[in-house]
Amino acid sequence: MSATTHGAACGVVLGIVLVIFLQQVAYLDLSDLVPALEYLIVGALVGGVIGGLLGMALGHSYLARHQVDAATKSK
Amino acid sequence: MPRARRPAVRAGVWGAVFALAVVALLLNVPVLARAAPATGPASIRPAAASPYNVTWNGVDVSTAGSSSSAISIDFSQTANLLFNWNVAGVSISDARLQMYYFGFAVSTRDQVVNNPVPCAVASCSIPLSWTPLSVNYVLEGVYRLTASFIAPNGTTMFSENFYVRGNAPYGFVALIPIILLLIAVYEVYALVRSGRYAALGRKSTPPPPAAPPTSPPATETPSSTEVPAEEPAPPGGPNP
Repeated sequence: MSATTHGAACGVVLGIVLVIFLQQVAYLDLSDLVPALEYLIVGALVGGVIGGLLGMALGHSYLARHQVDAATKSK
Repeated sequence: MPRARRPAVRAGVWGAVFALAVVALLLNVPVLARAAPATGPASIRPAAASPYNVTWNGVDVSTAGSSSSAISIDFSQTANLLFNWNVAGVSISDARLQMYYFGFAVSTRDQVVNNPVPCAVASCSIPLSWTPLSVNYVLEGVYRLTASFIAPNGTTMFSENFYVRGNAPYGFVALIPIILLLIAVYEVYALVRSGRYAALGRKSTPPPPAAPPTSPPATETPSSTEVPAEEPAPPGGPNP
């Protein structure tokens, strides 16, 4: 699993968790089915995109740092 | 990373940003829905104009017609509701209270009146007490409730939506918030470590799985005409 995929999966879960948590702290109303599903889908989409971007950035930064270390050691 | 892949990565990043912007613009942002519930607030209607009225521990529920003005309650305490109506000649046989979550009634409480008689006086009422003990450790949050007046023939004479904010006992020690917090902490931890996982996965790429050993079918019996695989070497040694 790549870092982007991993980050997107984490972001989807976090987006859904955040929506339910906002209902728990009385900020959102999930009593009706249709707006509740809209909130969950929007949360999952936004969380997935943000998580994917974060995962990709983390993966690239780690790989770049690792390549620099390897080049330094070879010298 | 090869340089040839960088334009593709940048295009992917910009594509993701564009998709995020489109989603944010096209769909409703949940924050806007805080003060605008899907069902019309009942408090818009003047309370005096309606002959039906419901009180929750003495508070008119029509004042809690939106989630932002929800009645704060304790799920471990008993709620005393009073269903009032002042329509002469109308009989109510059932006072019903329902709690909704994701469009489904997660709790229903009925106060059935046996042999209902039409209301002959200025105001009639049905008391209803409700203690949601079965859900008090789980359902902390804001919920929509519906109070209904049901006639003996099953017709709903009047119903009113209102919101309550239920607090679990001991404050924040409800089951769902704790589970959600644990999931969030774990996901953030996994997200932070995702880069390291990817790097480790690239460094130690496992070899492709070997083909499973092909064993001869069990039904096959060795035949006596088979040639042996190795012949004994001649006494003089192998030829050069």
